[in-house]
Amino acid sequence: MKEFYSNTKSLELFKKAVKYIPTGIPGHLGPVQSQFIPASDFPFYVDRVKDSYFWSIDGNKYIDYMCAYGPNILGYNNEIVDKAANEQLKKGNCMALPARVQVDLAELLCDTIEIADWAFFLKNGGDATSFAVLTAKAATGRSKIVRVQGGYHGVVPWTQAEGANGITKADLQDVIVIPWNDAEAFEKTVAENKDSIACFIATPYDHRIFADNALPVPGYWQKIREICTRNGIVLIVDDVRCGFRLHIEGSAKYFGFKPDLACYCKALANGYNISAVVGIDSLKSAAGSVFFTGSYWSSAVPMAAAIACINEMKRIDVANLLIEKGKKFASGMIDAGHAHGIDMKFSGVESMPFMRITNDPTTEMMQDFCAECVKRGVFLVSHHNHFMNASLTDADIKKTIEVADEAFAAVAKLHPDKVN
Amino acid sequence: MKNQKVLAYCNLFGVLRNIEFLVNRDEECRKIVAGKNLSIQFKVKNGPNGNLSFKNGQAEMKEGSHPSHILLFFTSPEHFNKMIDGKANPIPLKGLTRIGFLTGPFTKLADRLSYYLKPTESLLSDPGYFAMNTEMTFYTAFSSLAQIGNHDPKGIQNAKHIPNGIIQASIGTEIGLYIDVKNGHLTAYKGFAEKSNARLVFKDLGAAQGILSRKTDTYVALATGDLLMKGFIPMVEYMNPILELVGGYLA
Repeated sequence: MKEFYSNTKSLELFKKAVKYIPTGIPGHLGPVQSQFIPASDFPFYVDRVKDSYFWSIDGNKYIDYMCAYGPNILGYNNEIVDKAANEQLKKGNCMALPARVQVDLAELLCDTIEIADWAFFLKNGGDATSFAVLTAKAATGRSKIVRVQGGYHGVVPWTQAEGANGITKADLQDVIVIPWNDAEAFEKTVAENKDSIACFIATPYDHRIFADNALPVPGYWQKIREICTRNGIVLIVDDVRCGFRLHIEGSAKYFGFKPDLACYCKALANGYNISAVVGIDSLKSAAGSVFFTGSYWSSAVPMAAAIACINEMKRIDVANLLIEKGKKFASGMIDAGHAHGIDMKFSGVESMPFMRITNDPTTEMMQDFCAECVKRGVFLVSHHNHFMNASLTDADIKKTIEVADEAFAAVAKLHPDKVN
Repeated sequence: MKNQKVLAYCNLFGVLRNIEFLVNRDEECRKIVAGKNLSIQFKVKNGPNGNLSFKNGQAEMKEGSHPSHILLFFTSPEHFNKMIDGKANPIPLKGLTRIGFLTGPFTKLADRLSYYLKPTESLLSDPGYFAMNTEMTFYTAFSSLAQIGNHDPKGIQNAKHIPNGIIQASIGTEIGLYIDVKNGHLTAYKGFAEKSNARLVFKDLGAAQGILSRKTDTYVALATGDLLMKGFIPMVEYMNPILELVGGYLA
């Protein structure tokens, strides 16, 4: 009988972690939030990484399609980025004053992102979206935020749902939620809240979890742009997850519209901790008027890493490269599924595809499929889009499809009544 | 915060409902209701309305008003909750000739209910008691969850986000209770649904006892497989904050 990966050390460490850390592994990397189903098939802790792989603390090697939930775009421990970071580290990182790289990175972002006339640096995606919203409020003197149902913009109160632990009604009193791809709903909302909406914020396309991802319908963003312009509403694109995986000049460029503010994080520095908000010139003074800072926001190492990362992404035309890899990945997976009577549906942009098995609306087959892949060394999750990275080779994809073939066979056995 | 009205719903349709189970599984209770054929309507002003009937050795709790032999009125949810705690008496409005059932057999049933739902370490060391307590705690928790989702303000907020469908909770493959979600309204049914959209499975009685009594950390249980979530997880994710409220009401 074939032996699969075991995760004994992961489980032991997790049991210790629970004693000292709420939930053991808080946030989206925890086995519950990550939908490790069943958890026993999944590793919980990483020992080391390189390129497209991670090795768990049990010594198991995985081809990683989560890429740290997005930051890994060039490959883990990319030598070009790490070299730039290490050189800066020798000079200094967190200091009493910013380093030259802060200005260099701002200039580079303005040269790279289509709409950027200025750049502001922070640490996480949620910092960036909150700063963008504050900037919009400062610029307009208005209080209301319109966002899209199912859109993820971080974890601070305005981004969360009513009823979530720690969130009160007052936290959400200025937040209006409308459906994705519904410009009419936005028009109606604007009419009902005349002169009180500061901003509209959304991701470039609907890449929510647990559901097929949805691209904007033709004309959607252009209509949103027109409504925002006509009503003095700041248009914010949350490009934290998609950024650089659709278009090096920003995902708005990919979809043919121009936001007023755009938020970046994940792929910006290939895993070094930095985020950025870029904006149009007319919002520069409002951005400057908002007091928003943090102990590590001017750290120089991530900025040096970001400069190297952006230059490398440009050099290799990263978005198109990842889209091509994503196409190979998707077609291989779909064919492997069909061979076992299983239909795998892909949605979203190929460089960060969401996939699910359509034979089963409850997600159980998909959960079993992911677990069977993980047991065999391919790291997939059932609820979230996956990520391509530039170091992923054709051989990695070939190996992935071979594993998927075995996993589909196992899933077909587990769910004989659901296969075609 | 414990809302008396919500607690009354939990007490009636979560706690008292266990009499259905008791008369099937506890020999003493079986003897108490043998040959009894009558029904009791519980009417709580500004609170729940429920009917508990006994027929052919079985008990059945139904929500709402139904024909009854005995009608017990409670002036408020607090009044009903005090009765459950043994600190108040109901006001019988109908069936005075059958009041003997209340002071006799029904009181004995209530005592058995209390015996099984208030464990001690010593009692839990008995495997039979352990099984009964665990199963009844499971039914109480998930039946109450439905009530809290329908009546508690925070429960309502979360329940309205649960997609329509069926959440199956179970201990292994034998003990089950499912919650039917329709537009934010939750209805609990004992047993297994033909099809479910999401599942929450306690591996066995030991796992269920540990998790429901909070002796076992839920996150460890999920990591070890003592507790498994499967299927359309957003249903379970929005249900869990409601489940967290159960302890506050029934502790």
